[in-house]
Amino acid sequence: MTRYVVRRLAQMVLLFVVFLTVTWFLLYALPGDIVKQKFAMNPNIPPEARQVAIERLGLDKPVLIQFRDYMINFFQLDFGLSFNQYPRKVSDIIAERLPRTIVLFLTALVSYYYAGFLAGKYLAWRRGKRGEMAVTIGGVGLYTVFYPWFALMAIWLFAAELGWLPISKFLNPDEWRNAPFTANQVFIRLFVTVLAVSIFMALVVLLANRIRDHRPRALAKVGGVALGALLFVWYWWGTAGGALMRPYAGDIAEHLILPVAVLTAVNFAGIMLLTRSSMLETMREDFILTARAKGLSERAVRDKHAARTALLPVTTSLVLAVATVIDGGILTETVFSWPGMGEVLVTSVSNEDIPLALASFSFIGVMALVGHFLVDILYGVLDPRIRVGG
Amino acid sequence: MSAPPLLEVDHLVMNYVTEKGDVSAVEDVSFTLHQGEALGLVGESGCGKTSIAMSLLRLQAENAVFKSGEIRLNGENLLALPEDEMRRHRWKDIAMVFQGAMNAWNPVYRVGDQIREALDLHFRPRLSDAEATERISRLFEMVGLNPAMANRYPHEFSGGMRQRAVIAMALSCDPSIIIADEPTTALDVIVQDQILQELKKIQRELGMAIIYISHDIAVIAEVTDTIGIMYAGKLVELGPTVEVFARPKHPYAYLLLSSTPSVTGPRRKLAPLEGEPPNLLNPPTGCRFHPRCPFATERCSIEEPPMETIADGHRVACWNWREVPVSIAQEARP
Repeated sequence: MTRYVVRRLAQMVLLFVVFLTVTWFLLYALPGDIVKQKFAMNPNIPPEARQVAIERLGLDKPVLIQFRDYMINFFQLDFGLSFNQYPRKVSDIIAERLPRTIVLFLTALVSYYYAGFLAGKYLAWRRGKRGEMAVTIGGVGLYTVFYPWFALMAIWLFAAELGWLPISKFLNPDEWRNAPFTANQVFIRLFVTVLAVSIFMALVVLLANRIRDHRPRALAKVGGVALGALLFVWYWWGTAGGALMRPYAGDIAEHLILPVAVLTAVNFAGIMLLTRSSMLETMREDFILTARAKGLSERAVRDKHAARTALLPVTTSLVLAVATVIDGGILTETVFSWPGMGEVLVTSVSNEDIPLALASFSFIGVMALVGHFLVDILYGVLDPRIRVGG
Repeated sequence: MSAPPLLEVDHLVMNYVTEKGDVSAVEDVSFTLHQGEALGLVGESGCGKTSIAMSLLRLQAENAVFKSGEIRLNGENLLALPEDEMRRHRWKDIAMVFQGAMNAWNPVYRVGDQIREALDLHFRPRLSDAEATERISRLFEMVGLNPAMANRYPHEFSGGMRQRAVIAMALSCDPSIIIADEPTTALDVIVQDQILQELKKIQRELGMAIIYISHDIAVIAEVTDTIGIMYAGKLVELGPTVEVFARPKHPYAYLLLSSTPSVTGPRRKLAPLEGEPPNLLNPPTGCRFHPRCPFATERCSIEEPPMETIADGHRVACWNWREVPVSIAQEARP
């Protein structure tokens, strides 16, 4: 196993270097004279500073030297300076955008995968019943709806008309005027606490599954989840640091509800249909008949045998979808005025802000590679048939 | 056999409801099974053997409908039980060795854990970890597997080992009846024989009743006391295995045996059985075998022959069973 992991990691690094090289040259090959446009004739930079900037950025050097310098700097985690927001550092821009993107899209991802998996599981099990038809039509309807329109309608209904939720943005600026924290600090704290609690709950549930008697098992699960929730409450209400930050975290959480709900509504049907077809395939397997013949209840057959095995393809699609957590979504970010990585990507490419675009792409690349790696490891855990030796 | 039978299948009629109409899969089948008895059901694919096996556990396909008849286990009609009571009989009283054991195991759980699942369901009070491990080890030893294999996953077993493990799982809750549906079909001949001998030995030792289901007459001949021959959803002949093999009375049984080579018997030409089994959406009137039967008379196409007892424990559903030659055909056709 260790050997396998090391080999895979080495492969990933190699693949990433290839990816970065290709991306670098593709962006370099963009039409137009970027040096002239961005620096030599940029009215925002004083004429005497123009040549200094060009030399400082190394833009006057031959292309291969530029490429070499970029690679050396990249692996020292120096991503350069933004062209358009010169002389701001690329890493600062990404550090500002990344936490809010991750919090929004990871929450949405978990939410719609969970909803989709549950819905797909029940759908497959109640095949041919009336409920199946309604959920399928509803889900596919939402899946195919024109997304920006749907998001705007949701904002109009829940924010403008009913006034239940904030209209847009990720926080309410009025409340943050004298805030002792930056939004990013709150985002990160929020993310870390939610993640810690989720991991705790997942571990408790996994451990509880080893209990053989139904009643204590259910009790352990409920207890573990409740304890996790309690820890979360204790942190945000009970500790000094948490309580101080709580109003701001609450503000962000409130702004999260609508985009997460909209993303869930639109995306869950895809996962639902995937789970459903995977379940239907599994349910035809002989071992489902064996499970029934052993006298297991329908619920146990469904959850323990059918759904567990049907989980495999869903896991693959989940981890590959993790890359979308980084690149965000320009539509969502635009409609909800949630400036995140999606917006950075689109504007940096269209405005030829090469260092920013390169760094953003490389983050997505890293995430896709890591996602892929995790899929392989997770798959081995879920499916003993492809577990690797050595 | 004066003791009350363990299992009675009494005039069972089961149809599959399809868009094209009802398929008459099991038609008026009756037989009994006593403790320690080994019964074989033989017939071509689609003759209703597996439908009967599934009905015994009430795991018939969703579109199956029981039209009439009863399946009584120790006098209790299983077909009338609510689902959750039926679940308690499954595996505890009637266990199954499945056709094609390759897929009988869930690939993501350890073999021992899958057996443990059955133990946890049916043993009250529940077995402790140590007791369960001990029991699974004993079962593995009984079927000739290394007990350490219980911690392995199904894909780490060879075909024969998987089938042995399936037998171990079937034995796990001390059932009084085991249904072995094509228990050795997917295996090579040598392994087939080993497994059959093993199964036979275990059955004798534990004194359980067993129902073998196979299209392979040789398999059935080797291990059963009683044999039932099925054709197109009907049981056409039922009798002591030795007797049926030596002197089949139903024309179908006769032709089936004539078309099977015998290694030990006299040299003879094999008589192929011509024609196809009927479409059960629309079975032939009268005797279902009459279109293919060389002994058929006019009566056979009109009136359905009843099961007639011709000797102790030997029954035949044929109007003309007396016409059937006493020994297996020497030539291609009678």
